[in-house]
Amino acid sequence: MSEDKPATSRSTILKALEIALKTGRVTRKYPFAEPLITDEFRGRIEIDEEKCIGCGACVLACPPNALELIEENGQRMIKYFIGRCIYCWRCIDVCPVNAIRGTRDFELATDNIDDLVDIVVHDMVKCSSCGSAFMTIRQKIYVIKKAPLTENYIDKDPKCRREKTLNALLKRRGGVMKYE
Amino acid sequence: MSEYIKKSIWVFHLNTGSCNACDIEILDALTPYFDAERLGVKLVVSPRHADALLLTGPITYESLPKVIRAIEAVPRPRFILALGSCAVGGGIWHDTYSTIGGVPELLKILKNRGIEVDGVYYVPGCPIRPEALIYAVGILKGILQKKVKMRVRKAIA
Repeated sequence: MSEDKPATSRSTILKALEIALKTGRVTRKYPFAEPLITDEFRGRIEIDEEKCIGCGACVLACPPNALELIEENGQRMIKYFIGRCIYCWRCIDVCPVNAIRGTRDFELATDNIDDLVDIVVHDMVKCSSCGSAFMTIRQKIYVIKKAPLTENYIDKDPKCRREKTLNALLKRRGGVMKYE
Repeated sequence: MSEYIKKSIWVFHLNTGSCNACDIEILDALTPYFDAERLGVKLVVSPRHADALLLTGPITYESLPKVIRAIEAVPRPRFILALGSCAVGGGIWHDTYSTIGGVPELLKILKNRGIEVDGVYYVPGCPIRPEALIYAVGILKGILQKKVKMRVRKAIA
């Protein structure tokens, strides 16, 4: 019986060697070869500044606020901070002009956090009565194209528009009140 | 690339309240399939033996004192690899009551306490791919170059 033991262990080793030879080398040579990514993989998003109208639908849809809307000096900025993005691609679903494209890019490591910021700057339209900026120029063009009737009142911001409508209504009713 | 790191980097795995997805990917990177040990990455059990911390999670207030103690225990030169969206920018927890919101906020606290960190490497991903970790190690060792850059683009109406 004791003489059989080395024979069995030798056969086990041979069996293991056979499996190892059949499997071959499994290690990926990643930094020096192609990464293992499939079509289902979701990477960072890419905003097309030629198509984007700056409506902010993606900002409302973004769960971790990786996309932010900043308005200052008559300009609207859409700021994409890759470091907070969870790659859910909801912004791609809600974009009305298909300006956002998903990529398979995952090689985003950096030593400076400012590298992870991507900003698209839009010029804004000013209200004809009060002068406050309220929508982007491209958004205005898009809205007029979609609903031509809006052209009559689109140059006023929502607050001035409400004021004007209510004052007209009160005047018609014969009142002297003024909506502030 | 850092001029301090010339040999293999030994890493200490520090979970600061993450959902464990990034932790699983770290272990995946260390298996024979992706094999980060090709680049000299070795997982050690104490921060006193480590060169770099693999920090995952948005750093909860509960874990903050322990994180500071672990960073103090790492000998200089010390590096932090912030792994995953939570560690880089707070992720989905960036404005919750119980987290400080990622490594940028941690660095401010460390600066106030006089604890120096020689380099922070940010690795976004939710969760990170094992390749993303290997890529970050490549940047740290100077084998690879970073690809992302800050962009400000003007939409011409």
